[in-house]
Amino acid sequence: MADLREREDRQLFKDALSPKPACATPFALDSLRRASTPPEESAAIRKHIAGCVRCQAELRLLAEFEGGAPRPGEEEAVSSIEARLERRFSTGQPGTPAKSGHSTAQRRRWPLFRRFQAGGFAVAAALLVAAVAIGLREVRQPELGAVPQTRMVLRSAEVTVLSPADDVREAPAELRWQPWASAASYSVRVMEVDRTELWRSETGQTAIALPPEVRARIVPRKPLLWEVVARDANGGTLASSGTHRFQIRTQP
Amino acid sequence: MEALSDEDLIANHLAADDGASLWLQELFRRHYTKVILWCLRFTGDREEAHDLAQSVFVKAQRHLGSFRGEASTSTWLYTIARSECMNWLKARSRASAETGLVEEDEESSDPDDGPDQVLEHQRSVRLARSLLERELNETEKLVFTLHYGDDVPVETITRLLGLSNRSGAKAFIVSARRKLARAITRWRASQERLNS
Repeated sequence: MADLREREDRQLFKDALSPKPACATPFALDSLRRASTPPEESAAIRKHIAGCVRCQAELRLLAEFEGGAPRPGEEEAVSSIEARLERRFSTGQPGTPAKSGHSTAQRRRWPLFRRFQAGGFAVAAALLVAAVAIGLREVRQPELGAVPQTRMVLRSAEVTVLSPADDVREAPAELRWQPWASAASYSVRVMEVDRTELWRSETGQTAIALPPEVRARIVPRKPLLWEVVARDANGGTLASSGTHRFQIRTQP
Repeated sequence: MEALSDEDLIANHLAADDGASLWLQELFRRHYTKVILWCLRFTGDREEAHDLAQSVFVKAQRHLGSFRGEASTSTWLYTIARSECMNWLKARSRASAETGLVEEDEESSDPDDGPDQVLEHQRSVRLARSLLERELNETEKLVFTLHYGDDVPVETITRLLGLSNRSGAKAFIVSARRKLARAITRWRASQERLNS
């Protein structure tokens, strides 16, 4: 009985604290802090925040993140991770395809690699370590994803989106893209900028209408992402558009 | 290079079309500490924190072309870090459930609930929102949102917020629930008075 009550309470609190359509995104909160939100919009967001526990918490978390200074006992770990990331992102070359299955936590379990790390004094051993490390890089480093995503750059396996893209004057009624030669169907997703999925659907056409509840979530100055994936008859992926951003731009 | 803004660094990096340009390295260098701290406090483990932080920056690099400077780089990285850490928590929770370490959460709302129950639930949610806003202090609100809204374990919240009291986040949950229980009692009494 107590378990049931606890579970009911938990669900009630979860529903009460889940983000609502009117909740401000971290970008809107940031914009508010930087006073770059138009006054009337800013007043509406402030009014919402004043009565919304979720938004108040989000604002504090954002401040917590941005104020990030190491507390006693954290400095050493931060320096060590920072040094590793510094090395990781200064390779000066585009990355290799992602191999997400090989995390550092897994590499720790490789005794030979550990042994090479521990004793690296002799030149020969150092060279060997370097050789092993070069070999390992192929396996362990996730993709650096060097190519910036630009709307009109066409790549060999990229579905070209037609609309919406960038700034729009009003909430779009539909999403449209160019056909992919051998596609049997298309999967479409609309997401928040943090990639939280708002809506997904499937269609055999090259356009799909947005339902009213999704259009209601498309409000001025709130960027959203969308993506379309071309599928073959077995549901396999043929090509993807990548994510594309759009938002309603209010007139200055 | 220090004189350049984050936006300038991004523009230069994209123009350079180089996977790991000096501009990108400088941009990331400016934000390493806050992302690492966030991941470290979320995971409580140096290696996991390294993997998560690396994943945050890999994603940032991959999507740099779609970042258009409408928010600060820091806020943008925050959204990526938050999402990565939440996904990590969910994956860990799923793994624990599979090994029987944690009881899987069940939905308490029955899809076959009739309209009366749905309305009653919606009314309770509105009341809960109003009581949470009115009765809890700032830290209790934050702890409650993370724990009940986002399913973040209490020990993670304790680390994330640097709560130094003996029971950490749990103490705030207990005090908040007491406040809510008292507020509900008062609310029920007022409803009874109205009905009588």
